[in-house]
Amino acid sequence: MNLKNDELTKSINTVGDVFVKDARIKARNVNVFYAEKKAIDEVTIDIGNKEVISFIGPSGCGKSTFLRCFNRMNDTIDICRVEGSITLDEENIYDKNVDVVPLRARIGMVFQKPNPFPKSIFDNVAYGPRIHGLADNKSHLENIVEMSLKRAGLWNEVNDRLISPGTGLSGGQQQRLCIARAIAVSPEVILMDEPCSALDPIATAKIEELIHELGNDYSIVIVTHSMQQAARVSKRTAYFHLGKLIEVGKTKDIFTRPQHNQTEAYISGKIG
Amino acid sequence: MFNLYLLFVIILISLLFYFFGVNNAKKLKLQNNKLHSLKHYYGFFALLYSLLPSLGVYFILTIGDDILFSNMIKIYIPTDIINSKDFNFTIALAQINNSVDGLIFGTPPAWVINAANIWKSWVIKSHIITSILCIVTSLISGYLGYSKINHNFRSRNAVEKIVISLLAISSIIAILTTVGIIFSVAFESIRFFALIPIDEFLFGTVWNPQFEGAERAGSGQEGLSQYGSLPLFAGTFLISFIALCVSVPIGLYSAVYLSEYASKKERAFFKPLLEILAGVPTVVYGFFAALTVAPFLRNSGSLIGLDIASESAMAAGLVMGVMIIPFISSLSDDVINAVPQSLRDAGYGLGSTKSETILQIVIPAALPGVVASIILAVSRAIGETMIVVMAAGLAANLTGNPLEAVTTVTAQIITILVGDQEFESAKTLSAFALALTLIIITLGLNFFALHVVKKYREQYE
Ligand SMILES: Nc1ncnc2c1ncn2[C@@H]1O[C@H](COP(=O)(O)OP(=O)(O)OP(=O)(O)O)[C@@H](O)[C@H]1O
Ligand SMILES: [Mg+2]
Repeated sequence: MNLKNDELTKSINTVGDVFVKDARIKARNVNVFYAEKKAIDEVTIDIGNKEVISFIGPSGCGKSTFLRCFNRMNDTIDICRVEGSITLDEENIYDKNVDVVPLRARIGMVFQKPNPFPKSIFDNVAYGPRIHGLADNKSHLENIVEMSLKRAGLWNEVNDRLISPGTGLSGGQQQRLCIARAIAVSPEVILMDEPCSALDPIATAKIEELIHELGNDYSIVIVTHSMQQAARVSKRTAYFHLGKLIEVGKTKDIFTRPQHNQTEAYISGKIG
Repeated sequence: MFNLYLLFVIILISLLFYFFGVNNAKKLKLQNNKLHSLKHYYGFFALLYSLLPSLGVYFILTIGDDILFSNMIKIYIPTDIINSKDFNFTIALAQINNSVDGLIFGTPPAWVINAANIWKSWVIKSHIITSILCIVTSLISGYLGYSKINHNFRSRNAVEKIVISLLAISSIIAILTTVGIIFSVAFESIRFFALIPIDEFLFGTVWNPQFEGAERAGSGQEGLSQYGSLPLFAGTFLISFIALCVSVPIGLYSAVYLSEYASKKERAFFKPLLEILAGVPTVVYGFFAALTVAPFLRNSGSLIGLDIASESAMAAGLVMGVMIIPFISSLSDDVINAVPQSLRDAGYGLGSTKSETILQIVIPAALPGVVASIILAVSRAIGETMIVVMAAGLAANLTGNPLEAVTTVTAQIITILVGDQEFESAKTLSAFALALTLIIITLGLNFFALHVVKKYREQYE
C-alpha cells in the first residue's frame, strides 16, 4: 500500500531518500501558489514517526510556506493555494471533509517570534486544552498546565507566578511558554518555524535541548537558518532552493557529503 | 491692511537674513572646509532669530494699544456725561469705536465725534511706532543671530532648541485655554453657589429655574425657583445609557466585521460610509428623532397598549446611539487591526476557530483601545445637545422610565442661555454651575479611561 502510493508520485527530482518506513506525514507533489506566483514546486517528502527533521535553505526558498501546509495555516492567507496531497496517518488533510480545528490540535506549531497571548502564564498554556475541552475539571487542567510547563523546562522558573502575564517573561522563556502551549493539547507533530532566531545563544541552547528531548515523543519539523542547529537537533535534513526540495538525507550525510552541487554550495556558504 | 503689510515686511526681512546666513555658511565652508551643520540650518537660525522677537513685539503692541487707548480716552469724555446717572463706560467706548470704524447711527453727540477723531490720530501714531519698533527689532535681532554664525557654531542644535520651544508653547496654549475655560466657568459657578446652596443644587430633585423679581438670597423671600440638578443628570445618564446600549454592540460588531471578516475592498467601502454617520450635523439627527423615530415609537407603543410620550428619552437615546456608532466602530476597528497577526496565528495554530480567536485573543488584546473608544463615545453622548432638545423634551422629570420625556444638562444650559437674560440672576448663573459639574464628570470619565488603558497596557503588549 505504501509502496503503491509512492509509485504513484510523478518523477521526483529530489536527491536522496524522501521516503521513510514509518511515515506519519506524507507530502506528495505539493505545489503552493501565492496568487499566480509558485512558491513550492512539486515537493514530495515523508515525515517519520518521532523523528526530528530540519528544513534548511536560503531565505525566501519556501521553507515556511511548506511547513505551514502541514497544519493548513496557509488557509488563513487569502491568496494562498495548495495543490497535491498531504496525508497524516493516511488521511488526506486537504480533503474537503477535514476539519482544521482537530487537525491543528494534532499538529502543533511554534512560531519564529515568541507570541504568547496577552494573558497570564497559566491561561496561555490552558488555552488549547480549554478550547478543545481536554480537561475534565479544574485540577485536571492544572495538571495539564503543570505537565506541559515541566516538559517545556519552564516550570521551575514560573511556578510561583503563574498568574502574571506571559508577555512579562524573557524572550527565551516566552518561546518555551509557546512550546508548552503547543504541547498542552498533546499534538502528534510539532512544527517549528525558526524557533530560536529571536533568541540569544543561551536561550537557544535551552530550546535545542528541549527539542532533542521532545523528539522522543513527537515528530518535529524545524525550519532553521543555522546549520549547526540542524546538525545538533535533527536526524534528517531537507534542503530547499527556490521552492524545490533539492536534497534530503541523514543530517550527517547532508553536511559532510552533500550529493547535489546546490546543497554543497549552500553548506559551504556560497549561497546565502 | 496695515497689519498685513507690516507682517509681510517682517517676513521679508527674516528671509533676507536666511540668505545672509546661508551665504555666510558657504563662505565659512570655503575657508574652513568643515562646518558643524548643513548650510540651510545657519540660514534658518538667522531667520528665526530675526522673525520671532519682532513677531512678539508686534503682538504685544497690537494687543496693548487698544487697552492703552481705552484708558486714555476717558479724559476726553466730558465730566458731566461721566457723572450722569445712566453713563456706562463700555457703551461709551463702543460708541466711539463705531464712530472710528465709520459705523454711524443717526447723529452721534459731539463729544463722541471729538473722541473718535482723537482716537484715529492715536491709531496712526501707533501704526508708525509699531512699524518702526517691529522693523528695528527684526533687524537688530536678525543681525545678532547672524553675527553668532562662525565655524564653531552649532546651528543645527540651536534651531532644534528653538523648534522645541515653539512646540512647547503651542501645547501650553492649548492647556491654558482649557484652564481658562474651567476657571471662567468656575468663577460664575461660585457666584451661583453664593445664591443657591451647593447641596441643594447637587441633591435637589426639582429643577425649576425662573426669572423672578424676588430672588431668594436678595430679598429673604421664599422664591418659586428650584435648582435641584438631579433630574438633569439623571436624564443625561438615562439617555446616554440608551445611546450606549445601541452603539456599543453595533459599533463593536461592525468593527469586528470590518477588521476581521470584510475583504479589503469591502472595508475600503464600508468604513468611510460608517464615518459619514459622524459627519451628519446633529440637528439633522435631531429632527430625524423628533419627526420620525418618536412618532414611530409612540404609534408602535399604542399598538401594544404602552403609553409613550411624544417626546421621550427612548427616541433621543436611540438616535444618539446611531450617531455615536462611528466613534466606536472606527476607533475599535483601528485598534483591532493593530493587534499583531502573530497573536491570531498563535490562536489558529492551536486550533481555535475564527470567532474563538477574535473573542478570546484579539478583543482582549485590543481592550484598552476599545475601552478608550467607548469612553470617547460616552463623552460625546453626555455632551450632545441638539438631539435631546428636539426629541427628549425640556421637562425636568426625575425618572428612570425611558418612555417619558426627560431633559439633560446640556439641553438646559442652552435653554437658559438662549434669549434674554439677566446676568446677575441665579437662573443664568445656574448654567455655569451645570457646565462646571458636567466638565468635572467628563474629566473624571476621561481620567478613569486613561487609568484603565494604562492598567491594561502593562499587561497587554
Ligand atoms: N503571504 C504571502 N503573500 C505572498 N507571497 C508570499 C507570502 N508569504 C511568502 N511569500 C513568498 O513565497 C516565497 C517563500 O516564502 P517563505 O516565507 O516560505 O520563505 P522562507 O524560506 O521561509 O524564507 P525565510 O528563511 O526568510 O523565512 C517567497 O518568495 C515569498 O516572497
Ligand atoms: Mg520563513
